[in-house]
Amino acid sequence: MTVDLNLVGAKGAIAEAAAGKWGMTIDQDICTGCQACVAACAMENNIAFVGEEDAGYGRTQHWIRIERFWDGEYPHVQATPFQPMLCQQCGHAPCEPVCPVFATPHSPAEDLNLQVYNRCVGTRYCANNCPYQVRSFNWRDYHTVPELGNMVNGALIFPLHNQLNPDVTVRRRGVMEKCTFCIQRIHKAQDKAKSEGREVEDGEFTTACAQACPASAITFGRVDHPESLVSQLAHQERGVKHLEELNTLPRVTYLKEG
Amino acid sequence: MIRKFFEWVLSPMGRIAVVITVMSLFSLAAYGVYQTQQPPEQPIQFTHKLHVGLGIQCLYCHPGALRGPSPGLPTINKCWGCHQQIAKTQTSPLLKPMVDAMNAGVGFMWVPVAQVPDFVHFTHRPHVAAGLNCENCHGDMTKVTIAENPQVMNMGWCLNCHKSRTEDNFQNNPTGDAGVSAQLEKKRTKLTDCGTCHY
Repeated sequence: MTVDLNLVGAKGAIAEAAAGKWGMTIDQDICTGCQACVAACAMENNIAFVGEEDAGYGRTQHWIRIERFWDGEYPHVQATPFQPMLCQQCGHAPCEPVCPVFATPHSPAEDLNLQVYNRCVGTRYCANNCPYQVRSFNWRDYHTVPELGNMVNGALIFPLHNQLNPDVTVRRRGVMEKCTFCIQRIHKAQDKAKSEGREVEDGEFTTACAQACPASAITFGRVDHPESLVSQLAHQERGVKHLEELNTLPRVTYLKEG
Repeated sequence: MIRKFFEWVLSPMGRIAVVITVMSLFSLAAYGVYQTQQPPEQPIQFTHKLHVGLGIQCLYCHPGALRGPSPGLPTINKCWGCHQQIAKTQTSPLLKPMVDAMNAGVGFMWVPVAQVPDFVHFTHRPHVAAGLNCENCHGDMTKVTIAENPQVMNMGWCLNCHKSRTEDNFQNNPTGDAGVSAQLEKKRTKLTDCGTCHY
């Protein structure tokens, strides 16, 4: 891959160079904060239940969470709209350059931030450098904690293992994890399209959170195709990108106050 | 104490003892390595040699390789479909486990031989579609009884093939066409991307 040196460094030029491939829009005006996306994501991506004690330490593992803030001074406080926060799959990601073992590279083929679990050594530098606070660390082997198992004839049986998604790695202790934009679904759709000799169509597949959203507030697709639904939504006037001033080039556009 | 020990080591008996210790440790290690290279114990002594020799296609028993990630291991019903028409099935002692299992209504618990770790997501379909034959990776099944791995399936081995098949050289692009070069470049990006297999 050749890098045009004229484009490196200048903020606007980077934005121009990094158009992105997969993107998402989240309509905060119609999000009801029902957390269906949070549940769907946990089911799709084998996200562990950390338990009460670790949750108390702030070690909860959610690849998407609903944020809500308070606006104004007491007693005149007002709730801000629900804000689903997930990995923004930055085109210029702060997590990537800090990894000492290159376990979170930028995918040149899919233009996503990857997390390679078998390469991760658990320095947690990436999570500390993420301005969106969306990375979570596996402090234990949460999928095999004895409290979750049933003792059957002297052997520990884990009934919840039956609902694990075989297309997603079960993360072990000591690795970082984050939203992948359901890369397993991307691969599946691409594989299916290729076997039928065509391109992936817009809306043919979607992420687990977008699929579960009852209000259809989340839209997923190709942002580099101008005719796709997500790219038309992303170019609406009410679109905002979070912490844009950090020049992270997020691929998620929030639609607010239309 | 330590001085005495070294004096003993230098004595003829001590030297012999050291040689014997080193040799037994080495043979233990060699035995350990040998053990890891053995094909696993299977529920029945399935002869790939014989079945392939009879002209049965790999895809007859492992049809998933054509469609998706897992080729699948045949259920006992698939075995029975052919074997119930063969007179030898009822008499052969080697086939007795299958007949017993069929009569008892239980299946085989095959032990998969070629497996990748959980953090690798391998799909057979694109590999078959790219024109690879089964024996390119799994070895010549006309020569083995129980399936075994002909090579260590690690990432270097995968990437070597991915790189060599997308290199812009005479073999992949004999005419030096610019369009083919671009296509190979795109393919190479995809095939050497971490996210293609690890997620």
